[in-house]
Amino acid sequence: MMNFEDVEERDGVRLSWNVWPSSRIEATRTVVPIAALYTPLKQREDLPPVLYEPVTCKPPCRAVLNPYCQIDVRGKLWICPFCLARNAFPPHYKDISNTNLPAELLPKYTTIEYGLSRPAPTPPIFLLVVDTCLDEEDLKALRDALIVSLSLIPPYALVGLISYGTMAQVHELGYPECPKSYVFRGSKEYTPKQIQEMLGLNAQNRAAPRPGQPMPPQAYGPARFLLPVQQVEFQLTSILESLQRDPWPVANDKRPLRCTGVAVSVAVGLLEVAFPNTGARIMVFTGGAATEGPGMVVGPELREPIRSHHDIEKDSIKHFKRAVKFYESLAKRASNNGHAVDLFTGCLDQVGLLEMKSLPNYTNGIIVGSDSFATAIFKQSFLRMFDKDDQGAIPMGFNATFDVQTTKELKVSGLIGHAISANKKSGCVGETEIGIGQTSAWKICSLSPRTSEAVYFEVVTPAGQPLQPGSRGLIQFVTHYQHASGQMRLRVTTIARNFADPGSMNIAQSFDQEAAAVLMARIAVFKAEIDDSPDVLRWLDRMLIRLCQKFAAYDKENPASFRLSDNFSIYPQFMFHLRRSQFLQVFNNSPDETAFYRHILNEEDVNNSLIMIQPTLMSYTFDSPQPMPVLLDSISIKPDVILLLDTFFHILIFHGETIAQWRNAGYQEQEGYENFKELLEKPVEDAQDLFADRFPIPRYVVCDQGGSQARFLLSKLNPSTTHMSAGMYGNGPGATGQAIFTDDVSLQVFMEHLKRLAVGAQTN
Amino acid sequence: GFAGQQGAPAYFAPPDTGYANGQYPQQPVQQPNMNQVTNQFAQMGLGGQKPYALQTVNLLAGQPDPRDLHRPTPEIRLPPNASISQSPYVNADPSYKRSTINAVPTTSSMLNKSKVPFALILTPYRSLKEGDEPVPVVTDTVIARCRRCRTYINPYVQFIDGGNRWKCCMCSMSNEVPQLFDWDQARNAPGDRWSRPELNHSVVEFVAPTEYMVRPPQPPVYCFLIDVSHAAVQSGMVATATRTILESLDRIPNEDNRTKIAIIGFDVSLYFFTLAPGSTESSMLVVSDLDDVFLPKPTDLLVNLTESRSAIEGLLGRLSDMFQDSHTVGSAMGPALQAGFKLIQSMGGKLVALSSSLPTLGAGTLKNREDIKLLGTPKESTLLQPASSFYKTFAIECSRAQVSVDMFLFSSSYTDIASLSCLPHYTSGQTYFYPAFNASRTEDALKFAHEFSTVLASPICFEAVMRVRASKGLRMSEFHGNFFVRSTDLLAMPSVPIDQSYAIEVQIEETLTAPFVVLQTAVLHTTAFGERRIRVCNLALPTTTNMSEVYSSVDEIALATLFANKAVERTISHKLEDARDAITNKLIEIMTNYKNTMTAAGSGASAQLAISENMKMLPILCLGLLKNVGLRQSAQIPVDLRAYAQTLLTTMPSQLLIPYIHPTFYSLHSMPPEAGTVGEHGIILPPPLPLSSERLERHGLYLIEDGQTIFLWIGRDAVPQLVMDVFNLPSYTELRGGKMTLPLLDNPFSQRVNAIIAKTREMRRGPYWPHLYVVKEDADPALRLWALSSLIMDRAEQLPSYQQYLGQIKDKVNGTTY
Ligand SMILES: [Zn+2]
Ligand SMILES: [Zn+2]
Repeated sequence: MMNFEDVEERDGVRLSWNVWPSSRIEATRTVVPIAALYTPLKQREDLPPVLYEPVTCKPPCRAVLNPYCQIDVRGKLWICPFCLARNAFPPHYKDISNTNLPAELLPKYTTIEYGLSRPAPTPPIFLLVVDTCLDEEDLKALRDALIVSLSLIPPYALVGLISYGTMAQVHELGYPECPKSYVFRGSKEYTPKQIQEMLGLNAQNRAAPRPGQPMPPQAYGPARFLLPVQQVEFQLTSILESLQRDPWPVANDKRPLRCTGVAVSVAVGLLEVAFPNTGARIMVFTGGAATEGPGMVVGPELREPIRSHHDIEKDSIKHFKRAVKFYESLAKRASNNGHAVDLFTGCLDQVGLLEMKSLPNYTNGIIVGSDSFATAIFKQSFLRMFDKDDQGAIPMGFNATFDVQTTKELKVSGLIGHAISANKKSGCVGETEIGIGQTSAWKICSLSPRTSEAVYFEVVTPAGQPLQPGSRGLIQFVTHYQHASGQMRLRVTTIARNFADPGSMNIAQSFDQEAAAVLMARIAVFKAEIDDSPDVLRWLDRMLIRLCQKFAAYDKENPASFRLSDNFSIYPQFMFHLRRSQFLQVFNNSPDETAFYRHILNEEDVNNSLIMIQPTLMSYTFDSPQPMPVLLDSISIKPDVILLLDTFFHILIFHGETIAQWRNAGYQEQEGYENFKELLEKPVEDAQDLFADRFPIPRYVVCDQGGSQARFLLSKLNPSTTHMSAGMYGNGPGATGQAIFTDDVSLQVFMEHLKRLAVGAQTN
Repeated sequence: GFAGQQGAPAYFAPPDTGYANGQYPQQPVQQPNMNQVTNQFAQMGLGGQKPYALQTVNLLAGQPDPRDLHRPTPEIRLPPNASISQSPYVNADPSYKRSTINAVPTTSSMLNKSKVPFALILTPYRSLKEGDEPVPVVTDTVIARCRRCRTYINPYVQFIDGGNRWKCCMCSMSNEVPQLFDWDQARNAPGDRWSRPELNHSVVEFVAPTEYMVRPPQPPVYCFLIDVSHAAVQSGMVATATRTILESLDRIPNEDNRTKIAIIGFDVSLYFFTLAPGSTESSMLVVSDLDDVFLPKPTDLLVNLTESRSAIEGLLGRLSDMFQDSHTVGSAMGPALQAGFKLIQSMGGKLVALSSSLPTLGAGTLKNREDIKLLGTPKESTLLQPASSFYKTFAIECSRAQVSVDMFLFSSSYTDIASLSCLPHYTSGQTYFYPAFNASRTEDALKFAHEFSTVLASPICFEAVMRVRASKGLRMSEFHGNFFVRSTDLLAMPSVPIDQSYAIEVQIEETLTAPFVVLQTAVLHTTAFGERRIRVCNLALPTTTNMSEVYSSVDEIALATLFANKAVERTISHKLEDARDAITNKLIEIMTNYKNTMTAAGSGASAQLAISENMKMLPILCLGLLKNVGLRQSAQIPVDLRAYAQTLLTTMPSQLLIPYIHPTFYSLHSMPPEAGTVGEHGIILPPPLPLSSERLERHGLYLIEDGQTIFLWIGRDAVPQLVMDVFNLPSYTELRGGKMTLPLLDNPFSQRVNAIIAKTREMRRGPYWPHLYVVKEDADPALRLWALSSLIMDRAEQLPSYQQYLGQIKDKVNGTTY
């Protein structure tokens, strides 16, 4: 049995099933679809790009030569496993032999990266879109962070600046005479053509140059707005330093006018005309909801509250649908041109992430939410984007095309992740649609080493046409992207999996329950974005029951006989937590939070996603020198323990009552209590480790049992001891566990129900 | 040799042609100046009513003498004790206010019969030249006005009831005399009401109390809208304009440091500049949304001149360079005007637009509609009408917000002055035109810089309304000039530029029973230094039942000024031809009636062409009008030049207007020895010659000028010494004609000629600094024809000579009786 994590380490891929059903009907019975969570830019320090062009199959197949290809060294031929075409090796492969194979044919290079000779047309572009409706402290913090970022962005990268408040201003960085900016009315929806004209990007209205004088390109081209960092760092720094708060007066009963929509539309419009189809990020920094113009989230009147989930459900928000539509149209334009849109928010209240989510979701932009730009969460998360890898490059990919190729038994159902369809109707496209379907290629405007896309497949082999024993299917992931260095690169991962012989147990044994949980979670969230949550929950339950019916061992109608094998055993628990998670239970969160959480879930790999679904809880006690993982259950709360909760979004240190009392009494400073001091420090150190490679930086909460902040922990715990169930284990309140005030069913109850339903017993 | 000779002109013709001394007497002519005129009037106004002696002249018997244009206006012979004051200043100086007739018929039928229109020519905000008395100011805010007709107390009221009440000279209402009239608030002691300026002066200014303010007086506000397109920058306009503003910053009215300034550039976009106080930096905000103009920032765009001086200076110093590389073609002047309006509308003030091309974008877009096929045809007048309603509707919006617009136009091609000038027209601004401006010609740069800096430094007043009140029986009926007529007779003037002239026609509605009438102009305004003031200007005229008195009191200068205004209006409402015909017909009507009623010929035919002596220049002035660029029958005059001439004809005070329609012509080579030297009243000018090319001698040097242009005409046989003395060139053939700056050479003749040119440029009111063109008799036909068109007594194209014109008139005058 292969180790899923080793495979993930090598190929960046986790599959729900690692042995595949051999027919469509078989596949339907396995309930969880064949699916892969693939991390195209998975960091591989042992995988420097090879500096030559890939050998590809003839069009329209274009599959890339890989270790699973059959080769004929004498005939200098290779057979494409996807289309079975015979291809001649190119002339420079003439010396190929069984002992002299190019890297891409070696078994260890199932994943390979090519550094292509054609350079990107333009260096990466960073267009900063900066809110000025901030208080002084926030604005200063934001300015400072932006100035620091200029020293981290590659010097050859192009930068631009748009500031906005009541109006949006595009700063002309290449203008030597004085600070200069183009101002757009915040209340007006500008067409792309208008934006282009207003920025003077078209060739009209220009006098012919005098004979013998070349037209100075600086004077009109987009180069006025987007220039290499090394060239404008000084000027941009000085503009940022002098960036003032929005100067328009704000009445006491009003919100400041903030034309986020116009600012983003101008950014999108500028890039789409100036740098179409090349790598760029529009980095939007916003300190509040849009209150002006298209994309308005809430009106400027303070007495008008910002919408809640309930308001949206009641369909009572006047701006909501228009704003969503507006940002979606911008998101489409940006993503079609390969431009990513990042949202950095610094606000205690909501800023309209729900309305704006299509911008990062379509383009795989980043969302970093923080209470203020003065927080470490913002500053560290933002600057972490520019951390350099071993090669000194920021690990960022741009304007990627992600292609999936399958052998004929499989078809592509779709992709769930931050991408848009590239509308490639190849032969690999299946009928079933999951996520973004009807294509075998997608555009991903920005890639980070964390970006993980869920790709779903269906088996199309009809029943009754048995495959030859030992048949295997192949999937090739081809990611073409612009590396931050300016090089164009191609990452190719080819995986092969066996089809199960009819009746074999291999399929069940190949189940990766962690990957499956994450892949199902993505489907659930995708559905929830469209459907009502209750429907999604019912669907999840149904799928779980069916899976258990198929793969559990039990006697009919005997719940007590219900057994799941190891590689299925915790899957129901994942589903339990998923049902209760913020991804599906939205009413405990604001619409913005929901949008944020769902965005992150669709970005991360299996491990991180699992933490989000089922947070980890570590317990630190005097008894054990090492932290112990404990059940995410209220019974884990004890007066003499310290708990470290990681929900991915929050990292929380919880001091039991006794610990807190001792700490407050200052024992840790006293001689003879070194071990207490150590006990206090250990979870803090571990928390720091968690912070180190987490993006965005999680919120950090330190709390004590009984303190108000402890609610973060309680909300995540399995309510095995609710106020309803006190005494269930024979313990009264105040005994070992802590009662949780919730009406949610506990995991135990959930499991009981599941078993009954799976075995076909009566439920009560 | 010539060198070493002193004084007398020595540029005689070569001996074979002989030096023909002109017919014209060559004695030095004393230039009339204000003091003199005032004194003459003062004397005339006094000493009781004498009968007017009508003196008829036969125009056919002699030639018009240009010096007659400087005669005093006909005496105003008020009855004794018409005024309560014996002050010589109780009646208005004609430079402030003059009437076409200085004796008013008692009935409208008599007025109609005389055929002489009754109108006032007003220049209430007249410049003060050296030696002029300033307008006396009543500072104690005690303002006595008639309860009924709101007339301001003036020298023509009567004190009654032991001096406790005064009787209104307009409506006879009895009003209480304010107690403070007899109290000197400054000394806090009893005062002498007879020393009050408003009882002794026709023209006075009252400091208004707060009742006259709807809001605190506005500061002077100047918003410069500068075309920064490729053409504007390359022509040097931007550099010249910004340098001129920069150099004028200390001269712009700013006595109490309240003056505000804004600078907006425009081409296809609008460029705003922040000018934060205390900063030397400015930043540029570009607004390209022309459909929906907005201000990009709530502060720092319109700034206090004193506080933001360094930022303003910094920007003006660099503005032209900022746009040096601009290749933009197109003009969003309309949106720029809207932006400027938005910026200053809460305060009011001046929009000063400088434009190098036709507005092509946004509101107020204009098309090149100059169709040369239409020139000289009846359809030409359509080109003189505004092409877009924007310029009128926007102007009215400006007027309501106390915003006035000045236009400085520099285009090298059609720029549609007919449309653009609507803005200054309705907002009491002014249009200035520098066709094909090119600052690399120093003359162009100099002219514009001079005129622009003069305008910037000029005294100005703001948020003004003007109304003329008159004695019972008189009504102001028609208004001509740059303002917007609000509520029948209230003229709204967002700013009042110095030396702008207005014409108002007067109707006699009821029989006038009083021996004299009073016409009082009141201009309520805000001074540049923040005071609300009322300038009052009274004109008292005797009434008469005697037609001969009407004729002998006609002010031909005022009449010609009125004709100019009415003719221009007629070119727009009707046709150019109609306008010209109207002038001649009016002249014929007057002369016909004059002959019929005032001469022995009666209604019979006459071999003479009779007119009263005081009107003898009227025909040549009418002919001058007909031959002016603004009205002339021609298919060659570009519409912009015509439209611009029309703005001059309707705004210039008589002192500028008369030379504009009747240019001044001097012979320089044969001028008297004192001409060009300094006399008692400054530089002595040569005697003016009649405007006929008969005067041009082939060896001569002449100066012809109309206040807008100076021609230095040189005959082809000019002796080399003359060419050397004036131009520092060896001979006539070396001389090149055209626009130039005359060198100032180290010889007396050069110095005298230069002195005459300098005097010509500075002696009149207004900012105009005429270009000097050297015209060689045998070169550049276009330039030559242009110069010769000033000699209006000549026949040119279809236009008659003066003698022909008189002949036509005589035929009509006689003909009407057949
Ligand atoms: Zn192939
Ligand atoms: Zn009265």
